[in-house]
Amino acid sequence: MNTGHEEHKLDAGFWRATIVMGVISALGMWGVVVFPIERYVPEAAGIAVKIDWLFKFMAFFSVPILVYVNGYMLYFTVRYRNRKGQPKDQPGSSIHDHKTLEFWWTAIPSVLMLVLGVLSYILIPQYYTARAATADSVTIEAIGHQFSWEFRYPGLRDPVPDELHLPVDVAVTIDVTSTDVIHSFWVPAFRMKQDMIPGMVVPMTLTPTKVGKYEIICTEFCGVGHSGMRDRYVYVQSQSDFDAWYAAQKTKQAHAPTEVTAAVLASGDAAAGQQLFNSRCTTCHNAAPFDKRKVGPGLANLFHDPAHPKLLSGKAPNSADVADILEHGLSGPMGQMPNAQLNGLSPKDIADLVAYLKTLK
Amino acid sequence: MQAAVGTAHVTHGHIHPPPDTFIKKYIFSQDHKVIAVQYFITSGLFFVLAGLLAEMMRAQLASANNTLLSPTTYNEAYSVHGSAMVWLVIIPILTGAFGNLIMPLQIGARDVAFPWLNMFSFWLFPPAGILLFGSFIWGAPEAGWTEYPPISLEQSFGTSMWCMAIFLIGVSSTITGLNFLVTIIKMRAPGMTWTRMPLFVWATAVTAFLSFIATANLSAALLGLLIERTFGVPFYDPAKGGSPVLWQHIFWFYSHPAVYIMILPAFGIVSEILPTFCRRPIFGYKAIAYSSVAIGLLSFAVWAHHMFTSGLAPWVQLPFMILTMIVGIPTGVKIFSWVATLWGGNIRLTTPMYFVLGFLSTFTFGGITGIMLASVPADVHEHATYFVVAHLHYVLFGGSVFGIFAGLYYWWPKMTGRMLDETLGKIHFWLMFVSFNATFLPMHWIGLEGMPRRVSTYDPQYQDTNLFISISAFVLGASMLVFAYNAIKSTISGREAGQNPWGARTLEWMIPSPPPYYNFDDIPVVLSGPYDYGKPLPYREIKADLSYKPIV
Repeated sequence: MNTGHEEHKLDAGFWRATIVMGVISALGMWGVVVFPIERYVPEAAGIAVKIDWLFKFMAFFSVPILVYVNGYMLYFTVRYRNRKGQPKDQPGSSIHDHKTLEFWWTAIPSVLMLVLGVLSYILIPQYYTARAATADSVTIEAIGHQFSWEFRYPGLRDPVPDELHLPVDVAVTIDVTSTDVIHSFWVPAFRMKQDMIPGMVVPMTLTPTKVGKYEIICTEFCGVGHSGMRDRYVYVQSQSDFDAWYAAQKTKQAHAPTEVTAAVLASGDAAAGQQLFNSRCTTCHNAAPFDKRKVGPGLANLFHDPAHPKLLSGKAPNSADVADILEHGLSGPMGQMPNAQLNGLSPKDIADLVAYLKTLK
Repeated sequence: MQAAVGTAHVTHGHIHPPPDTFIKKYIFSQDHKVIAVQYFITSGLFFVLAGLLAEMMRAQLASANNTLLSPTTYNEAYSVHGSAMVWLVIIPILTGAFGNLIMPLQIGARDVAFPWLNMFSFWLFPPAGILLFGSFIWGAPEAGWTEYPPISLEQSFGTSMWCMAIFLIGVSSTITGLNFLVTIIKMRAPGMTWTRMPLFVWATAVTAFLSFIATANLSAALLGLLIERTFGVPFYDPAKGGSPVLWQHIFWFYSHPAVYIMILPAFGIVSEILPTFCRRPIFGYKAIAYSSVAIGLLSFAVWAHHMFTSGLAPWVQLPFMILTMIVGIPTGVKIFSWVATLWGGNIRLTTPMYFVLGFLSTFTFGGITGIMLASVPADVHEHATYFVVAHLHYVLFGGSVFGIFAGLYYWWPKMTGRMLDETLGKIHFWLMFVSFNATFLPMHWIGLEGMPRRVSTYDPQYQDTNLFISISAFVLGASMLVFAYNAIKSTISGREAGQNPWGARTLEWMIPSPPPYYNFDDIPVVLSGPYDYGKPLPYREIKADLSYKPIV
């Protein structure tokens, strides 16, 4: 307790330092309020704006805590340092505690935590696990694979790989899950993230509010290709653009072959195959000779390698047998190659890839 | 304050002769001080190895699509780095090394309650380290220090070695926890009531309780993973009816208390050093002591805040969020009390004091980002990004490692009998403090912008920041060389420390440096609390010289 000795009084320097720190805090807090988060990470969903305000609320009160803790620490250290000629073992103040002070520095953070807790809880049901219930809402399934995404839309026969299209200003519920290991579906512009857990389907509900193209990133380690699960995008479109895209998808799928037949293989497009190769295959394969392996072998000489006259499946390298590996996967000495379903490859994609691989030398 | 002197504590009535063979003295020693040094040396070695893994990672991340390390090597590097830093470095140094070295001395005991168990506990530790680092031969674990199934079920044999290594460490930790708890409860010197215990002993008591209770859960989870990997019994694989989320629950039910196992002893170290160099009582002794207990108890009820994106229902998230925020309150009380201790002191800015001030600054920052991660909606954006990487390094490096170095500089003279060089110590501090912040501060921002953790390549827009971080990380690594040089130099030609070079008041400074075998000729009698500078020392039955003029 304060014993009333001269040494225990707070001097003018203390109050000056307190005021200086107050000014610094005020500047910092003002900086937090006006900081344009939007300029660095777009706020493309209704919830994103609110979460950013919650973040600013926390940063706002963090500034004075940081300034005063560091400021008093530095001020006291300089002000009460052992000076030349002062005995090293001269005792300092003998104050053990100060009940009023301790009450306030417990009470004020408690109140702040309470407010933060309430604010946080208000935001949770607005996006999380609650299912969008309005008549025009959309439900989409998002499935994580090693190492791609697959989106299933109501009314579309086949899943859409690695591209999520959403109409703007419509509440959408995305049911997320995985077929292999845990992935995490993150769209920074939406400020939303949900782990994709095999065996569990978790809904996340949001309303995109800004037309644009935003990155989807995997944030849960999912294997050797985890680092590459980026550069995939969600496209928020106007309702008419979305409808046009949806109709185009439907037409495309209706005409797409459902099986890998010889005719389909013959119609493969090497340029489209090259694009596919670069986005889907390069996690494990190089377009280089056999020995330049990443996980699986290099594929440049797949069709004409005198050192490896047979495929790892034991068959001769012809289009049908390469397509067979692409379609059904392969479990061999170099590890496991996922099948076409896991890789998100349609029969047309397989034909394109075979056409591309044939052009490699 | 003259209190009754308790006589209920049973203490050693006689002193055994010291061991006479080299093996009994230095290898299979049962002397808590020798075991502490064994822990320091072993953990120090693992610190170097795990630190080199971190530098490898930073070399890879210096440019966006670098091919210096293969993705597999990179994944192995960060997984073993994290596992080693947590289980082979921070926990063993803070409990095994500092706990063993200081706690028995501070309570006026001649050793821990079970010296043989203490030796056994240490000898579980080097094999664990060999298993973990040896796993590189068969392909080290790749899924991070958390090893979430199902991916950890698919990995090479190294992951099974990881399970065994961490299991051994877990058993060692449980045994040490039990040993320390019994020691603190039963072996305090007469007159040392609970509220006369030094604050490092309070911190060690809570830590020991956490180690004893929580670690068994980790062992169970690890055993499950090992059994599933080896015999296919499905605990965690959803394809066979297991639950991957079950692993996360059990793992974090241990690993959140483990976070406090890694920070409470550092709190204790800070609470010892501040009064010594401010030459005044610590502000709010009881608040600091009881807040450790509060943090320890709360730590068992916050684990699911690591799982806010794992598909928990909102009504499950709510209590975990609120309880996590509540942890901030006792932690804040400690920080404010430490700052208030500086007020009105006679402050000597020695190297331990530099590290304590550095700790205060960086740990406060880490604490605040912890609150930001506790809020569910904010966490949903921040989780598993570089923001989390930054936060955990501010707590475990800015907190624990700064605390460890503060403690090393402070108790080095007691342990070795020689002072570390103060000038080199301060160079070490400034290099480390500046490069630490330069390394980890920018990570908060790139995390919020969209850089996920555990990636070996990243979007080129983060290239410049990452290059800056990598350069800073190399400086941070180099700062450790200054300490290594200082430690070697002082061992050869350091200044003689004498019994009490800092002029402190706790019991370890009342006996020669290094302390003799069996520590105290006669068990001291404690008359009041440890931090009343300016008053006569509160001990009786101490034979050594009690006039303590600080030499630094």
